[in-house]
Amino acid sequence: MSLTSGRFSWLTVVAISASLAAGCSKSGLESSFVYSAKTDSLIPEAQSGIKGQAGVKKMVDDRFGNPQHLKAWSKLPIDFGGVTASVGETPSGKAVKEILLQFEEGITSPSGDAVSSVQFVGGAAAGETAAVLSWDAESGKATLVSALTGSPAQGDQVVIGGGEVIRNGRVLYQRHCSHCHGTSGDGAGPTAEYLNPRPRDYRHGVFKFTSTNSSSKASREDLSRILKYGIPGTYMPSFLLLKDDELYAIVEYVRFLAMRGEFERKLVTELSVDYSKASVADQTASGTKRSEIIEALTAFLTEDFSDVANSAGDELAEAWSTADTEEALVAPTVGRVADSPESRRRGRELYLSKCADCHGVSGEGNGPQTTIFEKLPDADALYPEAGLHDEWGNVTKPRNLTQGIYRGGRRPIDLFCRMNEGIKGTKMPAFKTVFSNEDVWHIVNYVLSIPFEAEPGVSPGSIAPATPVAPAAAE
Amino acid sequence: MKKFWAIFFWFWPVVALVLCVMAPSQGWWFPGPPGTQMGERIQGLFELILGIVTVTFIGTNFALGWVLWQAASKGDDKKAFYSHGSHSLELIWTIVPAFVLLFIALYQMDVWAEYRVQSFYPEETKQGSVAEFMARQFEWRVRYPAIGETLKDEAQPGDLYMVNELHVPAGRPVKINLRTQDVQHAFFAPQLRLKQDAVPGLIIPVWFDVPKAGNYDVTCAELCGWGHYKMKARIVVESQQAVDAYMRKLQEEQTEDGFVEEAAEEE
Repeated sequence: MSLTSGRFSWLTVVAISASLAAGCSKSGLESSFVYSAKTDSLIPEAQSGIKGQAGVKKMVDDRFGNPQHLKAWSKLPIDFGGVTASVGETPSGKAVKEILLQFEEGITSPSGDAVSSVQFVGGAAAGETAAVLSWDAESGKATLVSALTGSPAQGDQVVIGGGEVIRNGRVLYQRHCSHCHGTSGDGAGPTAEYLNPRPRDYRHGVFKFTSTNSSSKASREDLSRILKYGIPGTYMPSFLLLKDDELYAIVEYVRFLAMRGEFERKLVTELSVDYSKASVADQTASGTKRSEIIEALTAFLTEDFSDVANSAGDELAEAWSTADTEEALVAPTVGRVADSPESRRRGRELYLSKCADCHGVSGEGNGPQTTIFEKLPDADALYPEAGLHDEWGNVTKPRNLTQGIYRGGRRPIDLFCRMNEGIKGTKMPAFKTVFSNEDVWHIVNYVLSIPFEAEPGVSPGSIAPATPVAPAAAE
Repeated sequence: MKKFWAIFFWFWPVVALVLCVMAPSQGWWFPGPPGTQMGERIQGLFELILGIVTVTFIGTNFALGWVLWQAASKGDDKKAFYSHGSHSLELIWTIVPAFVLLFIALYQMDVWAEYRVQSFYPEETKQGSVAEFMARQFEWRVRYPAIGETLKDEAQPGDLYMVNELHVPAGRPVKINLRTQDVQHAFFAPQLRLKQDAVPGLIIPVWFDVPKAGNYDVTCAELCGWGHYKMKARIVVESQQAVDAYMRKLQEEQTEDGFVEEAAEEE
């Protein structure tokens, strides 16, 4: 008996100490952003920099940080959180511990918990971030935990509660999304390899299901819709029960990860022609000395690289902020054509002329295009497997339209967007130059009727009730 | 030390009893009062069974402790007593539990029939289900019939779709068609005290009558995969008018064609 109890207690101690050891190791708790395979294909000097000049990795880290210490690159159209204010009156004396803040018209004074820090943007205290001990929303008085080193003056710009949205987004993302989409948004979380289709790799900055036109990025609204309603037919579930501010924070964080990945890709693209491992091997084989290549790289990193980074940032800022404007939104010039057997018949004709190539005559997603071998994008060879490949190098089947499952949403406008503007990152092209808006609506009507067809092309007798009548048809 | 195990087995029933007595006041109990009348009866059964197993647990543990204590108090020279093979003991511990189980089986029959046997369902539910509640890894997909139509097992052109949120009217029995698209799931509404497995290939009607408007949680109660914990949904119980308005809103959203008439130009 005593032997048994002795063994029992010994085992308990081992288990506890093992868990303590695991819990205490610092590296076990910290996570980091990974770099893309394209970055790894560069020579080490281009990845990590040379002679004090930043390479790709440092360029990215300086602007985006790591999951523990996120950085806000103010150039980017991301709401990192925080409200801009200015110092109301110049505080008297040195070692300032209390400041009065005022807000521009239209900005409401944030309440309570939202004010955890004050960050000085301009003036003598610029660059300082002070923790807030207490905050009075009415008078705008912030009491700081410790005194400032510089003395701010009236009118100095400050940001209060900076970074709160993105930090909140990170926590929620790690909890709900990272196990599939990965900490870096590379679509390679621990569960990813068991899923088909694969979770989205955001680092291309491309999202498939959008309401924006073919050349635009996804809007915040698009990402939020996907979060709320999920993507039926895939493993992306609905997060409808999260609160609006939680969804908003996740969307901002996903955009942050997308922009980080895209920025990294843009930098690598600049360098990969001359400084990829393969290219350097080629050059040295044809007689160029490696030291010469390194010298050229050093010169490029010194003189041009920060300009490259800046313009890459500008491009990102432009593209992502445009996506949230009305100009980027798909706006049909005519309303949906009333759903009728005639409209479906016309839709079927148009469908057969273009869509059946991929989606098949009966809409099962088995058109002749699905059996071809495509060319690899950056090599003179073919993909090993037949089928249509997407931006991420995966085979994507054209949707089987007979099942009534619509990944990008089942509203007529959702289908219209996909037909008119294409599906970004896939082989589904935009048909806006081929079909008139009216014709697209005919195809929408036909496609929505496919799941109910008795046999291909035989339109069901009943028509979906309460379809809105297009104004043109009503007149 | 010999008496340690006797005390050990006496100790746990005491802990269990203390925890059970404390539980309701500490909020370690059910999530609020039962939201449905059926739930009240199901909770009654739960409490009955809890009472029976509590008595059994405490009784057997005290008996076990008593036997150990007796043996430990005996001198080392006393021979052990072997009860193995005692015909009367075997009879007692077979017949007594059999009667207890038979009692439970008979006692719960009414509740079971009303909850599960379709001919006992309330009259109002016999006109059809208000929605299809389709479990899927890892969410609940809801399909309503078009306004004024009845729900069909197969998807219909005018059906209205939603995910993770079910709106039903308060104060009358409603029925949903529980289904699953992939593996086995279980519909569990803890506040309503309702639980029903969703089995692949079956359409299982589940009815409930929630008198009080409000939001009620739904979770999955069958370990269905790595994302099991993600399967949260809510049942929104509201007035019939509110449900009707919600359906109209759903229909409007679902027929959205994105066309905006330039009203300013016409004026």
